[in-house]
Amino acid sequence: MLSRIGRWIDERAHLSELWQSQMVDYKVPKNLTFPYAFGVMAIVAFAIQIISGIFLTMYYQPNIHTAFDSANYTIMKEVPFMWLVRHVHAAGANFFLAIVYLHIFTGIYYNAYKKPRELTWIVGWVIYFVLLVTALTGYLLPWGQLSYWGMVVTAEIPTSIDSAPIIGSLKIGETISILMKGGYEIGQVTIGRFFGLHIWLLPLILLALVSFHLYLVRAAGISNPEGREIDKKKEGVPFHPYITLKEGAYLMGYLAVFFFFVFFYMHHFLPADNYDPADPFKTPAHIAPEWYLLAYYTIFRSIPDKFLGFVAFNLTLVFLLILPLLDFSPIKSARNRPLFFIMFIVLVISSMALTILGTMPPTPTNAMLGLIFTAGLFSFFIALPIISIIEWGWYKAKGGEKQ
Amino acid sequence: MIKSIFFTLITLVFFYIIWINNIFAPHERYEMPAQYAKIAEDVKSYAKEGKQLFEQNCQACHSVRYDGVYISSVQANPKLQTLQEKYGKVLPRDVYESVFYEDLMGLKESFGKVPPDLSTIYLVKGKEYLYAFTLEPQKVLPGTSMPPVMTGRPEETAKIVAYLKSVAEPSPEEKSKRVLMGVGTIAYLIVMGVLLWIYKGRLLKRMGLH
Repeated sequence: MLSRIGRWIDERAHLSELWQSQMVDYKVPKNLTFPYAFGVMAIVAFAIQIISGIFLTMYYQPNIHTAFDSANYTIMKEVPFMWLVRHVHAAGANFFLAIVYLHIFTGIYYNAYKKPRELTWIVGWVIYFVLLVTALTGYLLPWGQLSYWGMVVTAEIPTSIDSAPIIGSLKIGETISILMKGGYEIGQVTIGRFFGLHIWLLPLILLALVSFHLYLVRAAGISNPEGREIDKKKEGVPFHPYITLKEGAYLMGYLAVFFFFVFFYMHHFLPADNYDPADPFKTPAHIAPEWYLLAYYTIFRSIPDKFLGFVAFNLTLVFLLILPLLDFSPIKSARNRPLFFIMFIVLVISSMALTILGTMPPTPTNAMLGLIFTAGLFSFFIALPIISIIEWGWYKAKGGEKQ
Repeated sequence: MIKSIFFTLITLVFFYIIWINNIFAPHERYEMPAQYAKIAEDVKSYAKEGKQLFEQNCQACHSVRYDGVYISSVQANPKLQTLQEKYGKVLPRDVYESVFYEDLMGLKESFGKVPPDLSTIYLVKGKEYLYAFTLEPQKVLPGTSMPPVMTGRPEETAKIVAYLKSVAEPSPEEKSKRVLMGVGTIAYLIVMGVLLWIYKGRLLKRMGLH
């Protein structure tokens, strides 16, 4: 009976043809390494966020008087199993960003931003940026001390434009800051706006962008660890069942780690200070952004001039966006590029060091270290055109495209 | 191979530092004698006694709203029951703060600020800090307006901490249920992962793709 219903639907919707053409006949390189699974993990993390978020909106109240209680009493204590949903959502946000970072670094390592995949990279960058904004808006919603003061500090950052020589007198920074907060202080307007952005606008934008990103991956083809375009008819393996099973197994491992944190280790994802209701008259001792923003924060903090610091951390984001332009070498993948590989290690170590420095108190030594690692981070981006020129030489010497 | 090991290790070390144990960030530690720590941990035996001690010593100024415990003057107010019939045991914060505005402002006049609600304080401060602070407020936080009510009564202080723990954290039975759920979920995912991996190997061998 069931199979007859299935056949009836299939005759009309042609779903099995779609499956055959998109999943089975779709060929991918056989040598895809483990890091290629970060893409599918990110999709799953996104789905987890959407589902758990929908359940949270059923009980959360975006109101400065009741937000804290709705999160910490109604959700955590009153309604059965909502604690699980909140744990999943809070840990999920951190895991989502962690996976996205790993995905970005994988993309840089295998040079997945080069022709014909520049647009995939750019769309991916926009996803990353929107994701950061989503995380930032969501962080305010529990209305704890960290949520409140974290946002106070974040909304202060654009005002550093006002310390610039000429454009400073226009007070652009202050305008942006007021726009972010919805007034001169963080209050009901802010929480209402952030709630709307966090549950409707930003996820919808993300959904559209992620779909486009996925489409572009299919349109331009998956990159290859060896850095050459494969002849899919000869070398490719069917996406299903080869990749679906392989990455499905990886995915189970990822989810096992994720649920370990959800059930047994939430100290970092639901930090202790955030169980204190927001109090505009009491500044907590240590205010720092969440870990995924700490590298930018350290760059901003260690440069003595406020405006220059602001420019520097925005420049990092811009460099990431124009990575396909900076790196115009014809050779792909760090496996074939020893110089690029060295600079990639510099990039990884500097960004990790900057993040860890962000958790430390701002002493002069730490500021000095911050400057050194900022230089390391920028040296990666500045070295790219130089490496590319050298590699064009090698490429020509070897006979260019004929090899 | 050596590259994979290097990148895996550096990633794991990074997330260990950022998420689990940040050896670089400053930590504040407070001491608590082992026998009292044991009392504060043991919610099952001491939470009830702790609640009575809380009512005698702390309730004059502090509420524990998530447990339906309000400051004494509010608790004596007949309005409270009418409101609780309407809103439930835990009154919405704005309702509570506006109806009992005068009681709270009275406290503010004597202490300089409204003494905080203690529903989630255990999660914020941890038992060591709560114990040390309640026992000798001026020593831990010089200049605080909290009076040294419990000084010289360490055992009773530990029992109050146990009560605050019982309000902030899920009950021991609930906790063991969650552990069971967690172990079940993780075991299921690992078994599924292994099965998928084996199935993949077999299927690919049959297809000649291995």
